[in-house]
Amino acid sequence: MAKAIKVTVRGRVQGVGFRPFVFQLAHRYRLAGTVQNNMDGVTIIAEGEEKQLQLFLHALIQEAPRLSRIDEWNVVAIPAQGWQQFSIIKSERKGTSSLVIPIDTAVCDDCLQEMNDPADFRYRYPFINCTQCGPRYTIIEQLPYDRPYTSMKTFPMCNRCQKEYENPLNRRHHAQPIACPTCGPSVMLIDRHGQTWKEEAIEKAQEFLMAGAIVAIKGLGGYHLACDATNETAVRQLRKRKQRPTRPLAIMAANLAVANQIGEINEKEAQLLTSPEAPIVIVKRKPFTLLAPSISPGLTTVGVMLPYTPLHHLLLDEQTLPLLVMTSANRSGMPILYEDAQAFSELNEIADYFLVHNRSIVHPLDDSVVQWQNGRLDFLRRARGFVPDPLFTTESVHALAALGGQQKNVFAFGRNQQLFLGPHIGDLQNIDVIHHFLREYEHLRTWLGIQPDAVAVDMHPNYETWNIVKEWDVSVIPVQHHHAHMVACMEDNGLKESCFGLILDGTGYGEDGNVWGFELLYGDASYYERLGHLLYTPLPGGEKCIKEPWRTAVGMLGYYFGEKGYEYALQRFPDKQYEIAILKNMIEKGINAPLAGTCGRLFDAVSAFLHVCLHPMYDGEAAIRLSEIIDEENVYEPYPFAIRENRLLEIDLADMWLAIIEDVSRNENPVQMAGRFHETVVAASVEMIRRAAKRHRSSERRIVLSGGSMHNRYVTKRLVEQLQAAAFTVYTHQKVPCSDGGLALGQLMIAAKRREREVCASEFQQK
Amino acid sequence: MERITLAHGDGGELAHQLIQQLFVAHFHHDAFVKFDAALLSIEKGKLAITTDSFVVKPLFFPGGNIGKLAVVGTVNDLAVSGAIPKAITCGFILEEGFPISDLKRIVQSMAEEAQKIGVAIVAGDTKVVERGAADGIYINTTGIGIVEEPLVPSFQEGDSVIISGSVGDHGITIFAARGELGLMTNLTSDCAALSPMISQATKASKQIRIMRDPTRGGLATALVEICEDFQLTIELSEDAIPIKREVEGACDLLGFDPLYLANEGKVIFIVAKEDEQKVLQAIRSREEGKEAAVIGTVRATEKGQLLLRTPLGTTRRLYRLTGLLLPRIC
Ligand SMILES: [Fe+3]
Ligand SMILES: [Mg+2]
Ligand SMILES: [Zn+2]
Ligand SMILES: [Zn+2]
Repeated sequence: MAKAIKVTVRGRVQGVGFRPFVFQLAHRYRLAGTVQNNMDGVTIIAEGEEKQLQLFLHALIQEAPRLSRIDEWNVVAIPAQGWQQFSIIKSERKGTSSLVIPIDTAVCDDCLQEMNDPADFRYRYPFINCTQCGPRYTIIEQLPYDRPYTSMKTFPMCNRCQKEYENPLNRRHHAQPIACPTCGPSVMLIDRHGQTWKEEAIEKAQEFLMAGAIVAIKGLGGYHLACDATNETAVRQLRKRKQRPTRPLAIMAANLAVANQIGEINEKEAQLLTSPEAPIVIVKRKPFTLLAPSISPGLTTVGVMLPYTPLHHLLLDEQTLPLLVMTSANRSGMPILYEDAQAFSELNEIADYFLVHNRSIVHPLDDSVVQWQNGRLDFLRRARGFVPDPLFTTESVHALAALGGQQKNVFAFGRNQQLFLGPHIGDLQNIDVIHHFLREYEHLRTWLGIQPDAVAVDMHPNYETWNIVKEWDVSVIPVQHHHAHMVACMEDNGLKESCFGLILDGTGYGEDGNVWGFELLYGDASYYERLGHLLYTPLPGGEKCIKEPWRTAVGMLGYYFGEKGYEYALQRFPDKQYEIAILKNMIEKGINAPLAGTCGRLFDAVSAFLHVCLHPMYDGEAAIRLSEIIDEENVYEPYPFAIRENRLLEIDLADMWLAIIEDVSRNENPVQMAGRFHETVVAASVEMIRRAAKRHRSSERRIVLSGGSMHNRYVTKRLVEQLQAAAFTVYTHQKVPCSDGGLALGQLMIAAKRREREVCASEFQQK
Repeated sequence: MERITLAHGDGGELAHQLIQQLFVAHFHHDAFVKFDAALLSIEKGKLAITTDSFVVKPLFFPGGNIGKLAVVGTVNDLAVSGAIPKAITCGFILEEGFPISDLKRIVQSMAEEAQKIGVAIVAGDTKVVERGAADGIYINTTGIGIVEEPLVPSFQEGDSVIISGSVGDHGITIFAARGELGLMTNLTSDCAALSPMISQATKASKQIRIMRDPTRGGLATALVEICEDFQLTIELSEDAIPIKREVEGACDLLGFDPLYLANEGKVIFIVAKEDEQKVLQAIRSREEGKEAAVIGTVRATEKGQLLLRTPLGTTRRLYRLTGLLLPRIC
């Protein structure tokens, strides 16, 4: 007697070959029925022997395709309807809209093998893909994910492709971007004067790259600028044209073996590099490699990725072109370029050649950047391969949005119990970035089918997000910056109950109107209390301090030592005599000298004082360079410091500064001083936490670590060690960045709690 | 040294003497003082009226003083509204102990400036407050002017934005003059009456949409207000905005934005593209308009935002001065 079941599956189950996989399983277990995509995920009706149905269900979970992820599944018995065979039926455009938007992934081994097989009809075809690899999010115009709703709609399939597409047993069954040389997109190389190469586009591009040319390459999520990474002249030329003097450039290595030649790559890092998500991985740079010296000046690390599109695989070559610079093409502070016309006009002065194709990019997406830090994944930028994969929560976050921070902006939405972090948007200062924000926000919002009834916005009154939300008719929930960081880390680890949070960050707006960023908090998504922080010191010139970190040092020295402090500053910055005199007056008169206690600025000040970096040319350069010179394996001796026990605990670094000043006068090795400074930050934080825990009413021993400075590998490693030694359970980020790229997650969770409370309050009033 | 006493403000003999010997003598308004109010006759057109109070510190600075400022400030508000300034009144709040010689210098320069512009100072009032209740001297002026041909603010896309000279001079001069920062500059305030230059410009073009004097809040705030009031998008080109090197240097040091610094002798004109050069030439024919420049364009007539195109090719939106200079970089 045949039994029938209805299975609904949710998660990453569309656009990953899930239906063909189900179809094959049904065959294997001799079942009849249907499988269908709908707005809710995938629905399966299966009829057959009970035993077979059991095996089918087991295999469904165990053998799911490499890209799929089952988050939720549900089986109900239904009356058998007497299906004669098993079939895939057309998508149904209805349901409660909890569709998963598939992510872009690196080309798979099967496709690569075909591409390299001279007998295959897709031999050397740069757009080969299958259900397990290729473009997704970046080519989708609307959901559900189906070819007519992607930028592949302009390429009618040829008979061969059509057959594969329709054959349920083919690995390209319903591979929406399926294509071949006959019917699909093609590449073209163009020079500045409009000369074009089609057939030999890739060979010519290789030739020009080898000769030192700069080539703009249209990729998956946007344009890259490429040049031979072993050619110092070419790299310098690129830096000059792009006006990017020092910012490290990402490298694409022909394969893992080549990557191993330039970087110390451990097993985990190798796994990351070769994963379907194929991010840029920051690794320790080997000394004496082929790499041009100006790839990452002043740094001991390098960002590497492996080829992730078939085109990349065809372009790079272990022998002739093993290492390319692949930096995203955008003018400083602007979104990545992805539209052909704009790319041509904006890169005209930068690129000698354009290697392009005619498959349009609908949604720009930057490369993700990660590092393997102390046994866990540390996201510096969560983008391609991860966006817009949802995170899951048990809180009710439906119809909430969070607008993120000012820089490294990422927004977020809640739908049912899913959390969607949007793509990396960038620095909201530029109008183009704001437009980019609005466009991507609106797209994702529409795809998710939600209309937010409340929007979380950072408290900083000058963040652009306030100007964005001002135009909307929606209730606004202001969220403190470091509270958001803390809750982001709690949610990242599934923590719900109150705990401690140490937030080491750049700058964020504090509730007392000062600049916060070295915070010890206690609380959860519904509230927080501030227990301690770094003593406030003035930032003479405000935002100027970020470009000129010596100012921050002057502010700190002046604050701690008065007249004497300005003298120390003058000894260290002798060409700034006039400036220091004026800064002193600004500080004393309180003119444009906001008070700040932040870890980021502290690193800046020490970096400038040690002359490690006086003129940062990119975000965080002063701090990054300071951390790069130290030996991460070493444990340094902390400098002396004090904790002032007032209503709040305050870290007082006067003694550390005195010791540094003395070390400098004795010509101590900067590496040693930088290392001891790092350890001081750790020791002072741990001491502050220990005392706070002693003073605190709870006996809580859990602590989350967040904020942009937690990217610092030494600081985070030592904090974890020391806090664990002090019997704390320590949580760090894993799925979202600790920097402002993860802020929206915390904002969203806080907004959820606040909305809940308001709903309760209004219900209470009604009673 | 003679100083102001409370009796100078009590309406008695000492007050009478002060009024007669100082104010009436300098302002020559004996014709008006026979009544409790000044009586003026108007020929035709519309009456424009404006008022402003002046509390600048220091009272004397390179290029002017509080008195000159009190006259030109109000006259300029009339002039940019398209009015021909006719008369002003002034009210003084004096702190007990204020040196009479300083008052004299202030009054003198008010009279001088008024005469130069051709406005009459027709009424005045003086109050003295106890020591500590005010800081030396405050002046309020109210101005009346006649508008013969009102400006019609009918903006069009492509209209040009002109500034009559470098921005931020006054702001930095005042800052330096306070002496508290030790800032060294050779700058002088641009404090000047704008009516002569404006009448040149309005003669040259009948297509001036609007004029503004970007005083407190600077160029950016004045333009943001225009954008919001008239629902315009204006795009400024950062390179084109005239800024004296010394102003730029000081701003660099202090972390100020010159676009938000006060000016006391500059006009923003928004004018039809076709009349742009005519207006520019008219302004440049005057000494105070020598550095005039076209700095931007009306991009759209429905958005209400001010944009700044930087030399890097990026575009930033500008807002009004917030008074809150907290870093946003994380
Ligand atoms: Fe932050
Ligand atoms: Mg005024
Ligand atoms: Zn594949
Ligand atoms: Zn085909």
